[in-house]
Amino acid sequence: MIQEIAIRLNGEVRRAAVAPNETLLDVLRGKFGVKTPKEGCGRGDCGACTVLLDGKAVRSCLILAIEVDGQSVVTLEGVGRDKPTALQKAFVKNNVFQCGFCAPGMILSSAALLAENPQPTEHEVREALAGNLCRCTGYEPIVQTVLAVAKKSAKKKPAARRARS
Amino acid sequence: MSIAHEFDYAKPARLKEALALLARPAPRGAVVLAGGTDLVAWLRDGAVSPGRLVDVKGLAELRGIRLQGGKLWIGANATFAEIIESPLVKKHAPALVESSGLVASVGVRNRATIGGNVCSAVPCCDSGPTLLVHEATVHVATPRGTKRIPMKQWFLGPRRTALAKGGLVLGFSLPLAKHAAAFAKLKRYRGEDLAQASVAVRVDAHGAWRVAYGSVAPTPIRGPKVERLLKGVKKPDAALLKKAAALAEAEVAPITDIRSSEVYRRLMVGVMLKRAVKLAAARLAGRGPDYGINVMEEDAQ
Amino acid sequence: MSKTKIVGNSSVRVDGLAKVTGAAQYVDDLDFGPGLLHAVVVESTRAHAKLKKVDVSAAAKAPGVVRVVTGKDFPYMFGLYMQDRYIFAQDRVRFVGEQIAAVVAETPEAALRAAKLVKVDYEELPAVLSLADALKKDAVLIHPHLDRYNKVPWFFPRAGTNIAHWRKTRKGDVEKGFQQADFILEDVYTVPRYAHCPIETHAVTGLFDLSGRLTLWASSQSPFAQRNVMATALKPFGLTHKDIRIVTPYVGGGFGGKAGVSMEIIAAVLAIAMKGRPVKLNWTREQEFMNTSQRQGVIARVKMGVKKTGQIVALEHTLHWDAGASAEYGANVVNAVGLSATGPYRVPNVKIDSVCVYTNMPPCGAYRGFGYSEFHFGLESHITRVAQAIGMDPVKFRRLNAIQEGDVLAYGAHMNPGDLRGAIDRVAKEIRWGKKEKAKPGKAVGKSLACFWKAPAMPPNASSAAFLKFNEDGSLNLTVSGMEIGQGFLTVMAQCAAEVLTVPVEKIRVETPDTDRNPYEWQTVGSHVTWSCGNAVRAAAEEVKTKLLATVARAKGLKAEDLYLADECVKSRQDKKFALPFRSFVIDGIMRPNGNFIGGPIQGTGMFMPEFTSALGDPETSQGGHPNVHYTVGCAGAIVEVDKETGKLTVLKTALAVDAGKAINPELVDGQIVGGIVQGLATALYEDIRYGANGRLLNPNFTDYKIPTALDCPGEIVPIILETAQPDGPFGARGVGEHTMVACAPMIADAIADAVGVRLKTMPLTAEKVALALRGIDYETVKGDSLGFCFRGRPCDYPFAVGGAK
Repeated sequence: MIQEIAIRLNGEVRRAAVAPNETLLDVLRGKFGVKTPKEGCGRGDCGACTVLLDGKAVRSCLILAIEVDGQSVVTLEGVGRDKPTALQKAFVKNNVFQCGFCAPGMILSSAALLAENPQPTEHEVREALAGNLCRCTGYEPIVQTVLAVAKKSAKKKPAARRARS
Repeated sequence: MSIAHEFDYAKPARLKEALALLARPAPRGAVVLAGGTDLVAWLRDGAVSPGRLVDVKGLAELRGIRLQGGKLWIGANATFAEIIESPLVKKHAPALVESSGLVASVGVRNRATIGGNVCSAVPCCDSGPTLLVHEATVHVATPRGTKRIPMKQWFLGPRRTALAKGGLVLGFSLPLAKHAAAFAKLKRYRGEDLAQASVAVRVDAHGAWRVAYGSVAPTPIRGPKVERLLKGVKKPDAALLKKAAALAEAEVAPITDIRSSEVYRRLMVGVMLKRAVKLAAARLAGRGPDYGINVMEEDAQ
Repeated sequence: MSKTKIVGNSSVRVDGLAKVTGAAQYVDDLDFGPGLLHAVVVESTRAHAKLKKVDVSAAAKAPGVVRVVTGKDFPYMFGLYMQDRYIFAQDRVRFVGEQIAAVVAETPEAALRAAKLVKVDYEELPAVLSLADALKKDAVLIHPHLDRYNKVPWFFPRAGTNIAHWRKTRKGDVEKGFQQADFILEDVYTVPRYAHCPIETHAVTGLFDLSGRLTLWASSQSPFAQRNVMATALKPFGLTHKDIRIVTPYVGGGFGGKAGVSMEIIAAVLAIAMKGRPVKLNWTREQEFMNTSQRQGVIARVKMGVKKTGQIVALEHTLHWDAGASAEYGANVVNAVGLSATGPYRVPNVKIDSVCVYTNMPPCGAYRGFGYSEFHFGLESHITRVAQAIGMDPVKFRRLNAIQEGDVLAYGAHMNPGDLRGAIDRVAKEIRWGKKEKAKPGKAVGKSLACFWKAPAMPPNASSAAFLKFNEDGSLNLTVSGMEIGQGFLTVMAQCAAEVLTVPVEKIRVETPDTDRNPYEWQTVGSHVTWSCGNAVRAAAEEVKTKLLATVARAKGLKAEDLYLADECVKSRQDKKFALPFRSFVIDGIMRPNGNFIGGPIQGTGMFMPEFTSALGDPETSQGGHPNVHYTVGCAGAIVEVDKETGKLTVLKTALAVDAGKAINPELVDGQIVGGIVQGLATALYEDIRYGANGRLLNPNFTDYKIPTALDCPGEIVPIILETAQPDGPFGARGVGEHTMVACAPMIADAIADAVGVRLKTMPLTAEKVALALRGIDYETVKGDSLGFCFRGRPCDYPFAVGGAK
């Protein structure tokens, strides 16, 4: 059984013929050439395959591609396409990532958190990232950078108002 | 790693159609696909190899969290993220916020459903103890009509439930009553983990206690001896808590596996019970921390 | 040392943007077109068995299958230091998970389905799953032909036994030392196996093209070592070094697990079998646990004698290592420990026996720390206990015995510079040593401080090389073959070149290697590449500098010694206004008044080999050689809180000081400290590998092998960098990468003891063990029949007997 699906992938409608046993991760990587979602465990434990499905961070290794027909999927390729986001810039500036394999999932989980909760507490950041395993960094630089970016975005708004007045 | 097993997939829009698909013979059977966070991993491992997946995410009957017929209705397809964010759950079954918040991680909770969790019926199923203390009812659709199964009759054994072949869980109804509760989960660390042991407690305005345990028996179970001991007590003192803990240790039947030894599980059930009861009593009295915490990491001394 | 401008700054990583945009490619991200084939390996389900029959007929006929390969097709052995590993099992299997056959198919699904159709008939052999069994007289032999294996000269396998290597170190007279001692403590400690858990599993694609050249795209720490191992093992196919090419894109974490060769050679032979078509072999997470390498388990007996005044006078340290079914890399871990198991202390009388034992568990090998984490657990725990027993403050005791520059090491060479006492003082201050902290109700607070040291373990002639070339605009390409495994190697190499050439780091492109195009590097292991390859890069940059000056001197008729480099220009000490930008001449040369051009593309090469080392020490004493280039020293301390009911431990604060010699990029050193502490704490607290009684790994996944999450970090981590220059290091630098996790386990054990009075001597130090110990229950008696390495029973009952050999 093969079925054509259409998903909005990083803003563009993409179509592919898929079998029911193909995971979203397999199809993103193999059929759409989108390689930033990585396979780290194949059972939802590590978060390296994280994508945003209709805005929510999910495990693409635990979702069948056929299930998401008609839905919107964002991968790291769709984040900061024209220029890096403030979060990406801060991650670079602070030398946050080491091997970088967890970075796509980590960035998407962070972005989803900040979209829902622009001023998270440190615990909320840790909770939001707890499903993304990183073996290199000890997490501290990641957590502190997310918090710093959130703090900076809060400061920016009143400053902009002052500039207008 | 790819999924080697091949199967058909259907996503019915109507309940009748779904039941027909589940009933219609398929080589190696048909199974329900909800959040898929367990099922897809099992398909990959070869732990299950059905001929057909019936995706129930298109069914309106399984959606929603609402008050209905004087009860709190939680559709089987409610994700743990939806349950955590639901003001109705927070108001009427707040321990479910606590237990749902300790299920896996955000990326799984955004997808995994309470229906799937309860149907998986693994001994460490996080929703089990909480639904047990709420004396929830499982609503099951079958080709011959809807059935209601009390939670305490639901779990039959590890990965075995009262759900008959071809049946589909629609959702859960929870009686409404003023109460306080707490859920404690023992994990190997603060991050995502399957419960080494868990305890849910609920106390109503009359001091009637309900207690349930997870991961310490073949299924989640109620704790009748502790319930009797605590009956009518709204402010348990240290001596009573100690007694309750000893009773709890005696009324569970844990095993030794790689997650914990039998003896640690048993001892920790006592500790968790003490902390959860103390916390629920404090909440009943209008004190105590908000719901949604990790009780075992708090200072519940 | 003159003041540096770029070295010592926390330059932004050269791979930073690529990694946050997703542009960074890892092996599995590379595309090989529709001709790509997929391989799946059939694994042994037995720990030790004869292979009676491997029937592939059904698999070969399955849809989509193009070839099934077994040990008959490739009956070859391989190994880094000793060739004791088979590409595919031959007459017998030696661990659960060992590769028996491989199915190559058009799709991964077809390969997976067909792999299930391979029928293997086993004849069970007694499995050696305990060190005591492995070492008893007339033990079942796992490698009956051990005497025939090729090996490096500094390994001493014992034919007719399961001993793969035995490193003996003898210094002074240990018996006399114990006679002089006022107090002697002897005890036994165990450390189970651990898994590396890089988030990227091993992955390789191989292509043996129609012209007969073999290319492997591999996730590897060791492209050149891999090429060398493969050229040796695959000689029967007429392959020479120049016919083999290893391309290594970004690596998603290594931690030692991707050093040397493991499954890569399977992909190589499958490519050879499928000439003309690329073949992909990706390890699943389960295979990553079961069939690459693990950290060896060890049981260690420490006997230490001290004077009342605190001086250590004698140390006897005996370690029996569970190496698993092959010791081609693990034996060198055992070797390294055999040379260094005194820890960073002055010990006049030393007897170390470090014994590498074959067992029927998966092979072990390099793991961040290379044996030092393992022996530090027992040694540092012991030191605290010894100090307390003689009534001395454990920090004062460590300070008193701390090794210093010039001290004689256990094998007779002299200690390099390093400020261990400074590290102790800084950490003690940071954790408020000596000050009692208040605990919350139901909790207890404990403090601890543990020292560490570690040297790179490498052959005496391990070397590095670098190429540098200018581009038209004055930017440069730097090629090196150390691997960027996350530590920031590429950035640090760029900084070294930039410092010499006065070029901004951003103008240097440095990428991951390809053995055809990049110069030689032994391996990225042992925390040695900053030091070794940094020296090579510095030499290459110095050569470029010499050429820049010479070219300008010749073209302009100036004296080279009057010229210098600054701000990407050649400048003159004689003429302040003279400044020739590199971009104006580094490719196109300099025009003379007559229209001739002087110069040409400027490039440089550099190499480095530590020419003072030697592995020729006496096998009975280890005296006479100079096996280690240098040690990096430091210490770590913690303040922890223990829940007295549950045994749960929270690290409130931890501080770690390491003497980096020179931190070329301090932020990256901090990254190694923080990451290393969290990894080290995980091995101490909850990573808990479990084998069944039949030798099958029970938790080859993150569901039950718990590596830390963002919720599992200490409340506060204070990284401290000390800088006592390493005289032969680039700008004074020495390595720090592995060291940062070495002291974590004893630090936690001591902190638990300080908090609640429970002394745990078996790792991991789980909440369960603490809670049970507080109730007087010995965990070993209730844990069931699973085991963490080839050891069962009470450590104090282990005889340390070696029946098969003396």
